[in-house]
Amino acid sequence: MTFLQLVINGVALGAAYALVALGFVFIVNATSAVNFAHGDLVMAGGYVAVGLGALAPLPILVLLPVVAAIMFAVGIAVALVAYFPLANRPPSTVFISTLLCGIVLQNLFLVLFGPQARAAPPLIKSGIVHLGGIEISIQALGTLGVAAALIALQYVVFMRTQIGRRLRATAQDRQMAQAVGIRTSAVIAATFGFGTALAGVAGALLANQFFVYPTGGISLSVYAYIAVVIGGWGSIAGAVIGALMISIFQVVVSAYVSYAVATGLLYVSLLLIFFFRPQGIFGELVQRRV
Amino acid sequence: MASWLLAGIRLPLLLGAAALIGYAVFFASPYDLRVLTLCGIYALLVLGFQFIFGHAGAVSLSQATFFGIGGYVTGILATRYGLPFLVTFPSSIAGPALLAVIVGVPVLKLEEHYFSLATLGIGLVVLLLAIQWSDVTGGTNGLAGIPAIEIAGFAVADRRSVLWFVWGVVALACLLAHQVTRGLHGRAYHLMRENREAAASLGLNVAELRFSAFVLSAAYGGAAGALMAHVIHVVSPENLDLTLMVTCLTMTVIGGRTRIAGAILGATLIVYLREWFRVLENYYMIAYGTVALAVLIAAPYGLVGALERLRVFLFGRSTAKPPVMTTGALPAAPRQSSVAAPTPEPLLAVDDVALAFGGVTALDGVSLACRQGEIVGLIGPNGSGKTTLLNVMSGLYSCQAGRVTFLAHDITAAPAYAIARLGLARTFQHIHLVDELSVLDNIAVARAGIDGGGLLRAIGTFGRDHRLDAARRIAWAAADRLGIAAFAMEPCGSLPYGTRRRVEVARAFATGPRVILLDEPAAGLNEQEQIDLAERIRSFGADGMTVLVVEHNLVFLAALAQRLICLDRGKVIASGLPEAVRREPAVIEAYLGLDADVPELALTEPS
Amino acid sequence: MSIATRTLPSAINSHSRRRRAFAPLLVGLGLAGLANGAANAADIYLPIVMPITGFLSVEGGSQRNGAVMALESAPGGLKADYPIFDTGTSATGAATALDKALSSQKAVAAAVTIFGTEMVAMMPVAAEYKVPLLTISGLAKITESGNPYIFRFLPNDREIKVAHARYVVEVMKKTKIALISDTTAYGQGGFALLQEDFAKLGTKPVFEDNSIAPDTKDMSPLLAKVKASGADVIVLHSVATPMTLITKQIRSTGLNIPIVNSSSIVEPTATALFEPAELAGVCAETPSAPEARPTPGIKTWADAYLKRFGLEPDGLALGQYDGVMMALTLVAKGAKTPEDLRAALQKETYQGVAMTYKSNGHGDLAHDADIVCWDGTSRIPKIVAHYAGDQLVLK
Repeated sequence: MTFLQLVINGVALGAAYALVALGFVFIVNATSAVNFAHGDLVMAGGYVAVGLGALAPLPILVLLPVVAAIMFAVGIAVALVAYFPLANRPPSTVFISTLLCGIVLQNLFLVLFGPQARAAPPLIKSGIVHLGGIEISIQALGTLGVAAALIALQYVVFMRTQIGRRLRATAQDRQMAQAVGIRTSAVIAATFGFGTALAGVAGALLANQFFVYPTGGISLSVYAYIAVVIGGWGSIAGAVIGALMISIFQVVVSAYVSYAVATGLLYVSLLLIFFFRPQGIFGELVQRRV
Repeated sequence: MASWLLAGIRLPLLLGAAALIGYAVFFASPYDLRVLTLCGIYALLVLGFQFIFGHAGAVSLSQATFFGIGGYVTGILATRYGLPFLVTFPSSIAGPALLAVIVGVPVLKLEEHYFSLATLGIGLVVLLLAIQWSDVTGGTNGLAGIPAIEIAGFAVADRRSVLWFVWGVVALACLLAHQVTRGLHGRAYHLMRENREAAASLGLNVAELRFSAFVLSAAYGGAAGALMAHVIHVVSPENLDLTLMVTCLTMTVIGGRTRIAGAILGATLIVYLREWFRVLENYYMIAYGTVALAVLIAAPYGLVGALERLRVFLFGRSTAKPPVMTTGALPAAPRQSSVAAPTPEPLLAVDDVALAFGGVTALDGVSLACRQGEIVGLIGPNGSGKTTLLNVMSGLYSCQAGRVTFLAHDITAAPAYAIARLGLARTFQHIHLVDELSVLDNIAVARAGIDGGGLLRAIGTFGRDHRLDAARRIAWAAADRLGIAAFAMEPCGSLPYGTRRRVEVARAFATGPRVILLDEPAAGLNEQEQIDLAERIRSFGADGMTVLVVEHNLVFLAALAQRLICLDRGKVIASGLPEAVRREPAVIEAYLGLDADVPELALTEPS
Repeated sequence: MSIATRTLPSAINSHSRRRRAFAPLLVGLGLAGLANGAANAADIYLPIVMPITGFLSVEGGSQRNGAVMALESAPGGLKADYPIFDTGTSATGAATALDKALSSQKAVAAAVTIFGTEMVAMMPVAAEYKVPLLTISGLAKITESGNPYIFRFLPNDREIKVAHARYVVEVMKKTKIALISDTTAYGQGGFALLQEDFAKLGTKPVFEDNSIAPDTKDMSPLLAKVKASGADVIVLHSVATPMTLITKQIRSTGLNIPIVNSSSIVEPTATALFEPAELAGVCAETPSAPEARPTPGIKTWADAYLKRFGLEPDGLALGQYDGVMMALTLVAKGAKTPEDLRAALQKETYQGVAMTYKSNGHGDLAHDADIVCWDGTSRIPKIVAHYAGDQLVLK
């Protein structure tokens, strides 16, 4: 397998991870809340895809908007349970409430779908495409396409639309946003909704090749957290870069050293980044001497 | 004795403790003894976590790692080298503490989210080592056959003995935690959690406080892990994974982040919840998660806080009594005798200081000097760099060029707490007080960095805390100087803004400074309060203290300042007697713009 | 400025111990009462303590089903009380769960977890309560450490890995072996055993990797290394999900060398994720293969299982069923106390559904293993080899 092939594989996986990190950083930006149920919400999206696929055997591409809509509602539900009752408490309290939500979700999956791994239908169809000397599965191509489209869409919505402006305003200064008449509670709920919808889409995309199972979420939450911090807390471009970095370590670096060493190198790189650039790749350096 | 018992929620807690002890002695099955033992081990883990997470306010995600390392040290030393408990247990405490010492310094410098992830990263590396380094750690299977506790030939093997032993360790740990967090040292943690800059500007070495909290949490974690290894006789990577970290966090937040009783309540509740629900099979964790979430939402400040609120609701607040006080002796302020004539050399001098943030120049070669006993006003439009200059002087920012001298020391690169200890105090635009503490204690914190002694002193203080008493006496005197002695026992959270401002100034004053920097002290005060404050500041000056006041409010300054300096866009544009500076065209232009047709800023002295 | 002297309120926190109120006392008494009530209705108490939640919930669920099926149809008209306690795939949780199970009533035996690390934590508890444990865990050392209360009804990993290695070397005659495992306890243990066995059979793998994390998604780096090593067979020992991913992804890269897996892939929940064609050229070791219904006895049992649980059975469920059934049969024959049962389990021979069970003196009662292969036309494999007794020992 050539280096290029491995890089392509890494980027394909990274595209899905980037969607996960993107949803995570949305919620972080709007609320400063670290939603550690995020990985379990990715699994939820996968399970929704599995369930829909059983009801209506259509390619997931067609069902994707339905998955996103259902997950949007789930995200608002999570906000209502884990965030709003605790909005005035220190952020670490929300950290824990989302963790507990995650535990409940995991075990709901166990009860509803059983403990075994399940596969969702493919995005378009199964199969491999040969481009030059490179092989790439249709699923991976589709994932790349969907991820790119959603990242572009996110950029347009955030930067160019009124909704996006409201979201950004609430994220930057909630009181000011309220003062100019923005209904910040609705905006925050919507942000949880969008972030969770992205997680759900990522889950639906991952569930075909890599399966969903109840305990599959926690490692994704950790990856999203790592990606967002490496990239610079709150930076959307940084989250995407961080996600790609993780997948490149997992797929490319581990082709040359053992998987364990590659994982260790990822963590060590993480710690070195903090040492040399404590604000992350795109983060803002805060002048602080105490 | 009766009043001590009836205060707060002590009585119900002690009754509950007695009931549980009675239960353990008379009714408990071996299973119940095991569960109570686990409660003790987790309580120890949470007590440790409270140092860094609760008291220092830093979300560390490596507490489970310390627990696991403690377990592994015991496992490895006991099963591979056959070493006795009296060697393995201290090693299990020292090992994680050593790791905390090594990683603590770089990691504690990071901002909150980065700090959390760095601690998580360290935990992930250790987990990876535990899994892969199977020759030493036994890999994912772990190490089995860890013997029971044995001390000098006496085996602590049956369940009841193990229970008493574990809870004996917990009792010692509670005592130590109490010692660390009582008195001035404990109150310093409160303020540091509230705002690190405010703490540093009072002379508190924030880095040292956080570091010692981190190492203590590691030591406690290691001890808990070692005890777990002896109880379950197995140690494996699950002892240091994220699931355990989540459990620790949940127990801490549900119990109460800074309360010793909270550690025990939280650990006990979560352990029992899990045990009660275990029979529910598939629904076990759903029930646990839901109930834990409900408790979290109902008591977001922890169970101890909720119980106390309930008590206040049912029985009313117990009245706090004012402290033992004699005539207040103010700290080593400039002696009355040296009031005579201000000495010519400046106490505080800023020499050509420059600082830019990215592309924005905040300070562009600023020089000024304050002589002893002077009251100097620093004015300038918004964004001119006044607060930035104060931050540079007090050590919160590093300038990129220039020098700051104080009392003949070059303090340009000195840390904020050292500058404060030399005798330079300051206040802030945004007031940071600890709402739950009384006015008196908020002011008394000012003495923690100066004569509070460190961690070891705090641990060694039993009985009456003389240092705290002395600090409170000084605080009382400072409060009196600011006219707020009547509020001494009120919690700061309930006070109006004007009073809070006076508390903050009193706090800075209580450090016994030679120079005090005030950042917009009059903002938000009504006219009467302004007059009152100006009068008090004038009296400081009369005592020989040097004061630099940053203000927009020229009326306030007019009565106060002997000299004005005006900044605009990072440069000094005028300096001299107030009347002259007010009339300077450059100053008028800076405030009101070019071509402003204003004959002069006609300001009258307040009557 | 003098103020009347009063004492300061001292610190809110005291250094004495605090505990929660009466609740545990009341609930403990209540549960004890309930348990007593329940015990009066049943003849024996045989709790089930297995991982129902957590990482091993698939395997735990299977063995739970097998145990439940046996207990529901206990021989000799015995009525059994068999509450299920979840261990949560955690050693600490397992020890506590077993404790809870054994302390609430006098148990004649307990049907317990497949997870090796949990077994290790449970062993001291069993010795304390002197209750035999009926397990299907493969971890070799649980019967090698002198604890007389452990009874295992699947061949232990040491024995079954011999079958695995022998088939590859002696029957398939492969010499360039790629040996791969994941980092779970199961994976690491099996990896070490296979290394030993290949060495004893006179061959050394051309590629070895035991560091695959069980949640790894993209296996292409691993497969690149396997291809580069020139291996002519892949020997894989891991839990089901990574094994499924590796097997599927190998085929999609066009690498068609045979794959010989550990028994994880024989679970119907794993084969359900494959198209039958993807399983061509894949084999696995397994203690028994009930879904293949090789004998009439197994067919009857498997059909009953399918009817009862709506799922195809696997070897784990069958092994646990046989183990619990053996214990119940011995109890019906007169071994009423845990000590009697322990002695009987150590001595007696039992003809179960999957095989004949007899202890080797250390608590290992199962000494049969199959090799099954898929031919690409169906998800149900065929048995191609059988190893028993001494064949499962390599000198």
